[in-house]
Amino acid sequence: MTNRENPRWAAGVCEGVHAAGSRHVVYVPDNPLSHVLRAFSDRFDDVALLLATREEEAFGIAAGLYLGGKRPTVMLQSSGLGNSLNALTSLLIPYQIPVLMIVSMRGDLGEWNAAQAPMGRAVRSILEAIEIPHVTAESPETTAEAVRIAGTEAFGAQRPGACLLPRRLTTGRG
Amino acid sequence: MTRFEATRAVCNVAGDAAIIASLGHPTYDLFAAEDRPRNFYTWGSMGLASSVGLGLALARPDVRVFVLDGDGSLLMNLGSLATIGLLRPSNLVVIVMDNEEYATTGGQPTPTAYGADLEAAARAMRVDAVTVRTVPELTGAVARRARQGSSVVVAKVTESAPTVKPPLDYVGIKERFMTAVGGR
Repeated sequence: MTNRENPRWAAGVCEGVHAAGSRHVVYVPDNPLSHVLRAFSDRFDDVALLLATREEEAFGIAAGLYLGGKRPTVMLQSSGLGNSLNALTSLLIPYQIPVLMIVSMRGDLGEWNAAQAPMGRAVRSILEAIEIPHVTAESPETTAEAVRIAGTEAFGAQRPGACLLPRRLTTGRG
Repeated sequence: MTRFEATRAVCNVAGDAAIIASLGHPTYDLFAAEDRPRNFYTWGSMGLASSVGLGLALARPDVRVFVLDGDGSLLMNLGSLATIGLLRPSNLVVIVMDNEEYATTGGQPTPTAYGADLEAAARAMRVDAVTVRTVPELTGAVARRARQGSSVVVAKVTESAPTVKPPLDYVGIKERFMTAVGGR
């Protein structure tokens, strides 16, 4: 595969996940994350990509992976954060089960679909309300480091931690 | 067969299997039947017990994983059956304690009381499944399916009021469990 098909930011997500020691990625796909999935498949054959039907389910699977000694990553679109809240607040946070969250943003700068805007605008406030730390990948060149920091902190502190991927990063617009 | 009798039967054939219990009565009954380090008691996250069991089974192919789920809980996360059918670990048995009611919340009937069929749902998602109604049937079904792929065993049970609950020590539950299964 060529660099044209693996944008720099998507390769950075993979590098950051790998550098944080995660080899299991549970995901519900969205359009930008398709680039990340392809980059994982092309360049990291030691990373297991596990499809879930819903984001809450993905966090349940991630919790089980952690109980078995793995360092799980969950990749989701920001719209799926709403589907995830019960898993986060009644399983992962109280049991101190860490997961690296990669959140592909909708509803931020560049959004064209009003149905995506309310949750997109609330993502940071919601994460702060449930005390999940988050960083934002600001550029293709810094994405790997942002993801790695979020993961290292999550697995070290034994709590979920998030790296947000804004649309201006993943689509080049906004 | 009461749910507590069914839970004891599962413990009797569990050996060194890890057991993930859904919140409420399944967790309480598992603690009462046999409090073992390889038990993981959930106190929330309704619906996710089978997902936690799936993740553990994928992480640790060397560990047999049993899940004690409820009919109401599994109905909250039916997509889990599709994911189990997709990923198919070789070491997962989901035992659904189907009492046809939300017993923990006061006995409201679930759709299985009106014919919803969780065995058929599992089969439709390419997961081996069977329905059992007696302790010998349950014991045989679980013992046969351990290490035979991924399976769902629907145990038709009657409600039996739990008498004890595990401690509300979430981190303690996790640490003891992880140490026992070698996740630490």
